[in-house]
Amino acid sequence: MTSDATLSSHLQELRRGTVVVASLTVLRAPGYGYSLLETLSAAGFEVEANTLYPLLRRLEAQGLLTSSWNTDEARPRKFYRTTPQGDAIADALRTEWTRLDSAITGLDKPAATDLGSNE
Amino acid sequence: MTTLIDRYVLTAVRHVPEKQRADIDRELRASIDDAVDARLEAGEDRDAAIDATLRELGDPRRLADQYADRPQYLIGPDMYPVWRGVMKMLFTIVLPIVVVVLQTIHALADPHLGRLIGTTIGLTLTIGAHMAFWTTAVFWILERTGVGRHDLVAGEWAPEHLPKYDARVLTLPQLAAQIVWPVLLGTALVLQQFMFTDEPVLDPANWTFWWPYLLVTFALSVAYGVWVFRKAAWSHAVTVANAVLSLAIAVPVVWLLATDRFFNPAFLDSLNWGEVDDPGRWLTRIVLFSVIVGTAFGIVDTAVKAERARRGLPNRVPGTESPLRAG
Repeated sequence: MTSDATLSSHLQELRRGTVVVASLTVLRAPGYGYSLLETLSAAGFEVEANTLYPLLRRLEAQGLLTSSWNTDEARPRKFYRTTPQGDAIADALRTEWTRLDSAITGLDKPAATDLGSNE
Repeated sequence: MTTLIDRYVLTAVRHVPEKQRADIDRELRASIDDAVDARLEAGEDRDAAIDATLRELGDPRRLADQYADRPQYLIGPDMYPVWRGVMKMLFTIVLPIVVVVLQTIHALADPHLGRLIGTTIGLTLTIGAHMAFWTTAVFWILERTGVGRHDLVAGEWAPEHLPKYDARVLTLPQLAAQIVWPVLLGTALVLQQFMFTDEPVLDPANWTFWWPYLLVTFALSVAYGVWVFRKAAWSHAVTVANAVLSLAIAVPVVWLLATDRFFNPAFLDSLNWGEVDDPGRWLTRIVLFSVIVGTAFGIVDTAVKAERARRGLPNRVPGTESPLRAG
């Protein structure tokens, strides 16, 4: 495996799960598949349509999202919205994310914790 | 005429459960149309926009798997170790036993070396393919339905499950072999009188004493295996018992072979090995040689194991440092 391929497989591992937090957070205001895709990629999340659309249905099946069809416009669209349960889970996930971020930042500066120094 | 988008959506929804199809169809079309519109606004022409959008979505069957939340593998990581264990057991123990037993019967009925080798290869491949296929098929069903998953994989690993690498103990497969072989030999000894060949293979005159005597020694072999397994230790008593039992079987067999009283003369006369002259003599020699070598090996092997155990040396694992002394 080249180092590029190694990096991309590790990045994929790291990013897995972030789309869930981001979607549950964004969909506190109702949105449909393509609009969410646009919002996420504008916000800097590299997510593929073929991952996102099935994911939305899975989150709905888990009760974290609800959906309803909006047929007012010429193109009917399925709108998703985060449920209170989904909101609570997104909250817990964001807290965990913050904790991990500070934990990794702490590891990256060993001088601050004095772990790396010789006696 | 169906458009490219129609063909894409139909291919995708065809592979998801029927009751989800209408909804996914509608949503997927809207999403594709949105993406195409965005590309048109960016100045692409229509065909290129559709092509790029569908390429981004990728293989519709893969998308369908994601929608249906289906695993994209045959046997998952939970079941894989169990599957591997079963396959290993089937191919290293069951397959050789089945092939040897079937071919022994076959060889007695039709002792032609060339044909025998051919059918052995064919039989091994056929039985092996069947065992691999049906085992995998059952595991595939278990993986999909979840039936039995709990019983098969729930057993949590604990340090006690580590192998002992101990020269002292007869392992369970070894015990099984120690029981299966005498039983098979005893069964073959009885059945050859009535089945497999027109003439009984072995001399029927020996039913007055030697064949019943061999059946008794086979029964003793089974008892010996159970005894060693429960004793859980090789010792000089085991070496002696093994040697006595082996000789009790081998000496009469060798004597009967050497005095031409082992095989049924009528059976030997019916043999036809093509250009081989006097096949009866050759068969006698081969069996004589096998019995002597096999018996000698068994006696020495057991003696070596017992001696290693007496010195407290565990079994060696190839590729590792020389074994640590057992405390």
